[in-house]
Amino acid sequence: MDVHDEQLPPSQPPRGLMREPAHRVSTRAVGMWTVEALVGVAVLLAGQIVWWFVDDRASRSAHWLVGAVWLVLSVAYVVVMPRWRYRVHRWEATQHAIYTQAGWLRQERRIAPISRVQTIDLERGPVAQLFRLASVTVTTASAAGPLSIHGLDLPVAQELVESLTAAAIRERGDAT
Amino acid sequence: MTPWRRLNPRMLLVHPIETLIRLLPALVVVLIARSDSDSRWELIALPFIVAFGVMRWVTTRYRIVDGQIELQRGLLNKQTTTARLDKVRTVDLTAKVHHRLLGLAKVEISTGGGPRDRLVLDSLLVDEGRRLRAELLHRANPEITGLPAPTGAPVDVGDLGPDLDVAPVVDEEVLLRLDPAWVRYAPLTTTGLAAAAAALGFVSQGFTRFADESDVLVERARGLRELAWWIDVVLVLGLVCGLAVSAYVLTFWGFRLTRNRLGSLHIRRGLLTTRETSIDPARVRGIQVDEPLGLRLAGARRLKVVTTGLHREQGGSDWLCPPAPAPTVTALACQITPDEQAVSGPLRSHGPAARRRRLTRAIVPVLVVVALLVVGRLIWGWTAALLGVAPVLAVAALALGVDRYRSLGHAVTAAHLVTRHGSLDRQRVVLDREGIIGWKVEQSFFQRRAGVATLVATTAAGRQHYDLVDVPVDRAYAVLAEVNPDLLAEFA
Repeated sequence: MDVHDEQLPPSQPPRGLMREPAHRVSTRAVGMWTVEALVGVAVLLAGQIVWWFVDDRASRSAHWLVGAVWLVLSVAYVVVMPRWRYRVHRWEATQHAIYTQAGWLRQERRIAPISRVQTIDLERGPVAQLFRLASVTVTTASAAGPLSIHGLDLPVAQELVESLTAAAIRERGDAT
Repeated sequence: MTPWRRLNPRMLLVHPIETLIRLLPALVVVLIARSDSDSRWELIALPFIVAFGVMRWVTTRYRIVDGQIELQRGLLNKQTTTARLDKVRTVDLTAKVHHRLLGLAKVEISTGGGPRDRLVLDSLLVDEGRRLRAELLHRANPEITGLPAPTGAPVDVGDLGPDLDVAPVVDEEVLLRLDPAWVRYAPLTTTGLAAAAAALGFVSQGFTRFADESDVLVERARGLRELAWWIDVVLVLGLVCGLAVSAYVLTFWGFRLTRNRLGSLHIRRGLLTTRETSIDPARVRGIQVDEPLGLRLAGARRLKVVTTGLHREQGGSDWLCPPAPAPTVTALACQITPDEQAVSGPLRSHGPAARRRRLTRAIVPVLVVVALLVVGRLIWGWTAALLGVAPVLAVAALALGVDRYRSLGHAVTAAHLVTRHGSLDRQRVVLDREGIIGWKVEQSFFQRRAGVATLVATTAAGRQHYDLVDVPVDRAYAVLAEVNPDLLAEFA
């Protein structure tokens, strides 16, 4: 690695990468993400239909072209995104820290010490309820740092919330 | 029962004055347009405005009790705001010109995350405000600070014996005073230029309104148009510089940064509107040295503080130093953050992948523009001279990309994480390792292919997150390991 200004003394030897978080989310999350993707696609379809009736030109070739592109992209999105997400999404919580991995095209890992945790939320959206899933969101005092785990089995999510709450209570300080 | 305290009755004058100022443009129009026959409606409005002020004075009261500050407002819709004293982060005293004439100041107490977590007392006597600030920030006991000064004959310290520590107690240490010569940096910052642009916009709007009626203005404008183009350029530059300088003077005149015995930072500034900000040292999480291109070329910097409880809408309360020569700013930064390696030491660069990404980002927009120009020439017959800008654009973009790469850097010291990025708005952030409350390692699709990641340190202060952009993946985890070894050990 090249260094401008002056050469820094070598820092401690690299420790290698962090391993992935231990647990996958529920397999039913694939279904949940598919339904959510379908909802998004349906909104676009509605737009296409409105355009079909509003447009009063005789030629329909523009509609077929846009529709075909839309169809290919949508099918790819609905099929690929949920499975890709499922392969990426992972989580792990220990006595001292919580660690998540999420995303598909854009991936990210988030890690926060339990001592800095401020609130722990359990959320169940309409689609998640359909699949008996829940998501857990852990916020810290930073507006940039909430950790969310989507697509957890409801009992697993409840147990996680309980253990995180217990661990957070043991730690002290105002977490900023 | 702790007695309730009220705003100063002189605030009864402040409210009508502020209403008047707010309505001034409308009033001027009405006064110009009216004929004598109109009824004097402002005489009817006046009692209402005064009554509103009186009601506000009667209904607003505050007190400090049981380690909390309570603020009560409203007549019908009574609101009580309570905040724990140990949550108070900053206290601002602002005095506009009319406040100053009356010896008043508006006190704003910031207690938490959002802009809603603020208590505003408009207004108190300046001394009352300062006393309140001392009570809030240092939990000073009002029963002691409120005692009359001690009486009796003064005793010479020499009579008390030689072993008594007679070093005078330094109450406040002055860290920085504005040097009027620094005004020369005003036109070099975007803040200065933005102020100039705003003023120009305001004035030009005024001109267009009057231009229809005034022949003199039209004559002058025509005269200007007939001048050589370079005179116009000089005139505009002169005007912009003048406006930027006046904005600098208005904002920063009398800028003084002090630190008291307890470590609180106090900033006082302003020519017409004076503003005093006090920052509790327990809330400070680091500093930010701003090095925008203009200032860098002139050998200047400016300094901000990274602290919890200050938000952007508070308009520059986080400035510890206005644009000033680099050595002054570095020395000041070292006084506030005694870690010279972090403040001015060398940084580790982010490597070839980061450089490639910076250059790509700089060049691609230029290619798009050039393609557009070529298409425009082929289809709509745009003049070929337009293509002449392409080399200029390319060179500028390349220079920007190279500078953006050279600016990228990070370092981990014993107590701080340092990150630097940007070119036109380059900034170096020195963040307390203690202030980091979480991490993110982000990788876009292209970042994964290039083997780099963006390491984000989240914090409760300042911008809430500070990023190390495009570091090699193993380096990102090495930084994480160095700052939070036990955290990484959990998942190693």
